[in-house]
Amino acid sequence: MKKALIFILSLMLTGSLFSQTIGDTIVSNNAKNLKLTVLYFHITNRCNTCTTIETLVRKTIFENFKTEVDSGIINVSIINCELPENKVISEKYDAYGATLAITFINGAKEKTEDLSNWAFQKVHKEDIFISELKNKITELLK
Amino acid sequence: MLKKTAIILFVVLITAFIFPGCGNSGQSEKTVNDSISQVNATDSIFDEDSTKSAMTTAENNIEKNTDTLVSKTKNVKIAKPKVKVYYFHGANRCVSCVAIEEVTKKTINTYYKKELSEGIIEFKTIDIEESKNKVISEKYQVFGSSLFVTKILNGSETKTDLTGDGFKYAKNKEEKFIEILRKTITDYLK
Repeated sequence: MKKALIFILSLMLTGSLFSQTIGDTIVSNNAKNLKLTVLYFHITNRCNTCTTIETLVRKTIFENFKTEVDSGIINVSIINCELPENKVISEKYDAYGATLAITFINGAKEKTEDLSNWAFQKVHKEDIFISELKNKITELLK
Repeated sequence: MLKKTAIILFVVLITAFIFPGCGNSGQSEKTVNDSISQVNATDSIFDEDSTKSAMTTAENNIEKNTDTLVSKTKNVKIAKPKVKVYYFHGANRCVSCVAIEEVTKKTINTYYKKELSEGIIEFKTIDIEESKNKVISEKYQVFGSSLFVTKILNGSETKTDLTGDGFKYAKNKEEKFIEILRKTITDYLK
């Protein structure tokens, strides 16, 4: 019985580690507090620019909005748009390749802003990227 | 007897005088009428002539004005925009990067072949890691894969950065990327 329990726990742990490696949804929060969702979509074969955008998005959020993430106000999702299980959400966000979107949620209403062109323009200037994304999120949370 | 003859002669003369007078009068009236109708006709002819003449004058004036306008238009050079489509990339290229270049080439060769042959559109693929491309890469401030459409008109340049749209659509939603690229180029050619 004890062995079986350890085996099941091991399986669950392996599964959670595996899903972190895939990294689809990196933070899942308390939905009732949710005000803002940051979504970054990518394809399976990624280039340096694409992975750098993800790195900078993570850095911006976790360096500036950790409290909001912990309390469930902000949710961050990194999604592979080529996986069949992500087809619905990818189509909803018109994401067929590297796409950065921010959705502001106000009750039943959602307002999405596509930041893909902006992200590719600013990705090589890390300070500007982080500063502008931080300002954008702060403005939306007011 | 002589008195009777004189009276008869007098009556005959009077009669002869009166009757031809009535006939002349009628003829004269007819002539007058004819004359009036001729005058009217002449008036009418005169009106048509004057109208025709006026019209001809107006037409000549219009032609002259049009000639002036045409000659003025010929003298004014209407500046035509030129469009440059530049795709920048580094040495290590991903599938999205290659797809952007391929779809951009395909769009230009399919929809802008004439403009390309006339030099109105210019397309270049630029390796930013080659030293010869340093100046242009710095001008566009590119550090990786980037797609720019630039309009040049009267010496001034207007740029649109389509890199984000390229990475978003070129590989898996080609038709959407072609639509965005065509709209940008076509708007710039106006």
